[in-house]
Amino acid sequence: MTTSTLSRTTDTRRPTTEETSERRRSLRGRRRRERWWAALFLGPQLAFLLLFTLIPLGFAVVLAFMKWDGLGEKSWVGFDNFQTQLSDPTFRDAVLNTLTLGLITVPVGLALALLIAMALNNVRGKTFYRVVYFLPVVTSSVAVAVIWQMLLASGDLGMLNNTVHDWFGITLPDWLNDPDWVMVAIAAVTIWSSLGLNVVIFLAGLQSIPAHLTEVARIDGAGPLRIFRHVTLPLLSPTIFFSFVVAVISSFQAFDQIYVLVDPDHNEGARTIVYQVYDLGFKKFEFGASSAAALLLTLMTIVVTLVQFRAQKRFVHYES
Amino acid sequence: MSISRTAKTVAVLAAGAALVATSGCGGSSGSGSGSKTTVTWSTWGNPEELARFKAFEKDFGKRHPDINLKLQAVPSYSDYHAKLLTQLSSKTAPDVFYIGDDFAGKFVSAGVLAPLNDKMAAPDSKAKPEDFFDGLYGGAKKDGQIYGIPNDANPEVLWYDKQTLKDAGITDDPAALNAQGKWTMATFLEMNRKLKAADKAGSVFYNWYGSTYSMINGFGGKVYDGGKFVGNTDPKSREALKTLADGYQDKTFLVADLLPEGNGSDVQFIKHKVGFAAGGRWMIDTVKKGQQDNYDIVPFPSQTGVLMPQTVGTSFLAMNKDTKKAQAAWTFMSEFVSKDGQLLRLKGGGNAVPSVKGADSVVMEGYPAHAQTFIDTRDGGFANYPEEAGVPALTADINEHLLKLWTGKIGFDQAMNELGSLVSAKLH
Repeated sequence: MTTSTLSRTTDTRRPTTEETSERRRSLRGRRRRERWWAALFLGPQLAFLLLFTLIPLGFAVVLAFMKWDGLGEKSWVGFDNFQTQLSDPTFRDAVLNTLTLGLITVPVGLALALLIAMALNNVRGKTFYRVVYFLPVVTSSVAVAVIWQMLLASGDLGMLNNTVHDWFGITLPDWLNDPDWVMVAIAAVTIWSSLGLNVVIFLAGLQSIPAHLTEVARIDGAGPLRIFRHVTLPLLSPTIFFSFVVAVISSFQAFDQIYVLVDPDHNEGARTIVYQVYDLGFKKFEFGASSAAALLLTLMTIVVTLVQFRAQKRFVHYES
Repeated sequence: MSISRTAKTVAVLAAGAALVATSGCGGSSGSGSGSKTTVTWSTWGNPEELARFKAFEKDFGKRHPDINLKLQAVPSYSDYHAKLLTQLSSKTAPDVFYIGDDFAGKFVSAGVLAPLNDKMAAPDSKAKPEDFFDGLYGGAKKDGQIYGIPNDANPEVLWYDKQTLKDAGITDDPAALNAQGKWTMATFLEMNRKLKAADKAGSVFYNWYGSTYSMINGFGGKVYDGGKFVGNTDPKSREALKTLADGYQDKTFLVADLLPEGNGSDVQFIKHKVGFAAGGRWMIDTVKKGQQDNYDIVPFPSQTGVLMPQTVGTSFLAMNKDTKKAQAAWTFMSEFVSKDGQLLRLKGGGNAVPSVKGADSVVMEGYPAHAQTFIDTRDGGFANYPEEAGVPALTADINEHLLKLWTGKIGFDQAMNELGSLVSAKLH
């Protein structure tokens, strides 16, 4: 220990009033500088957030209680827009379709992604496969939908149906026009395009599991299934939960692939809540009703997410 | 400079930059480049249509080197109006823009369109009010004031396939019957029955007001009476709608909108699977893919065989009330809709019929054989009812509701009751 350090540590003299107020001034100055730096870094983002998210959000909430066609006078209608939507069979169908899409894409998509991630976990050239699986995620959803439209179309353009019919003599459903099958087609496209993201996330989760834990289990005589159930799955559960929450929210917000792939105006099986919001607002110019439908979707998303967070306490294992 | 002052300065500059960047998002339409005045205009259209607009722009540029035209094109009709509405709300709409006939009344009522009577009536005007067929103004004319000029017209007629009719044992030629004043609804429906019996579809219609209201008129019914919707109560209108519903459900008629991609109405018609296809002049390109002499046109039938008023699809060119380049904008729009403008846009198999008098030569270019039917139908036809065109998306709602009837999802009486309620609620 040096002399100067010794002198500092052994200096037990009480600071004078002048020194105390000097220190306070210095502290206040530092805090002020920090506030300005914080403002510097946060300001632009907050300005954008305010202009493009918070103000439109507030406007949408107010609009949900109004009748407005986009150009004329706005009139206050209270909860009428909500009542109309909740009693509208079209909105109810849209909710059911949205839930159906989520019920197909979330479990199937996540299970498939987990399987692929586990298969890739111990494979050479992981990076190559990761890129391959991730490609659909970075491809324009509109381009993806157009390609799938060509694959799934009926008639002369339908590559899948024509190939299966020519090779096996089997007539497949009219995927994009049959209300009973259209959601299956949309789900397939959604799963395909989101698979890569989940694979990459699961792969990262798998690689963060300490190797010695699976090694110990193996030495203790556990087989692959037991290791998966009692070691891998619990340790991966936070990652699965994260992907689960994101996948559910994404399924609630499905729109672009549906908009390009099918025509929900003529195929009620494909109408989701976001399409209903778009249809009411930008095709029928009922912005109040559209905002009400959007708010109902937001509420539904919040409720489902809260339920997920409640349930995770039982199923998700966090390492202490 | 202390750190605090640096931070303050940079923070203020950053916030300023953010504000400048965001305020730039709502910029108005482009100003002139050099001494030129730039007029922005917008429309929807497929690549072929846009190519014709570009040709017009090029031609216009030679005559008016001081005006620069800037086209904002949107491929889809419905997306186009959503964009236009947003632009009008945010005061960023183009100087001149297309409006569909089912949206015209809405924009007129909202007061966002410039009145055009004075400009049109000016001595040097190339687009006088009387140059255009009066029935085509539709919802773009209110209390005698014109707010939109019909760009062109698309009278919907029935294209028929001579080969398919012959295969179904039909020996009468519809166009010949029409010439004799014998083209009646009963004859048309009988032909459809024979086509169905021959394992073909009788007719294919798009689910839009054009076909539906022409059929109602063909039965002698009414859609609006004294400003009130009677399409669901008038006995003859109900008979027309019931006939359509029964026909759609037993596949005598097909809804073109519901046919699968790649096997749509065009394909069915060319492949001789359907006898009649409702459509406008735009179908020339389609039927020319088959044996073109095999196809001809006839108006929608009437009860008596006499041509009755039929719906004519139109679109309008309107001027933004807030434009700061009204003179240049008017120069462009008056030439665009003028006789010369329409001749340039519609010649050589163009997709529509002129809305201006004296330009019919483009229709009588030799195809189809009874091309005069397009002109006759336009002359006696009418654009969408102003009552309906004044309420945005009312037509779309009616079509959507009727589709449930066509597909058998709801019964006839329920459909009529709900249709009445739907229209009443929207009209008031």
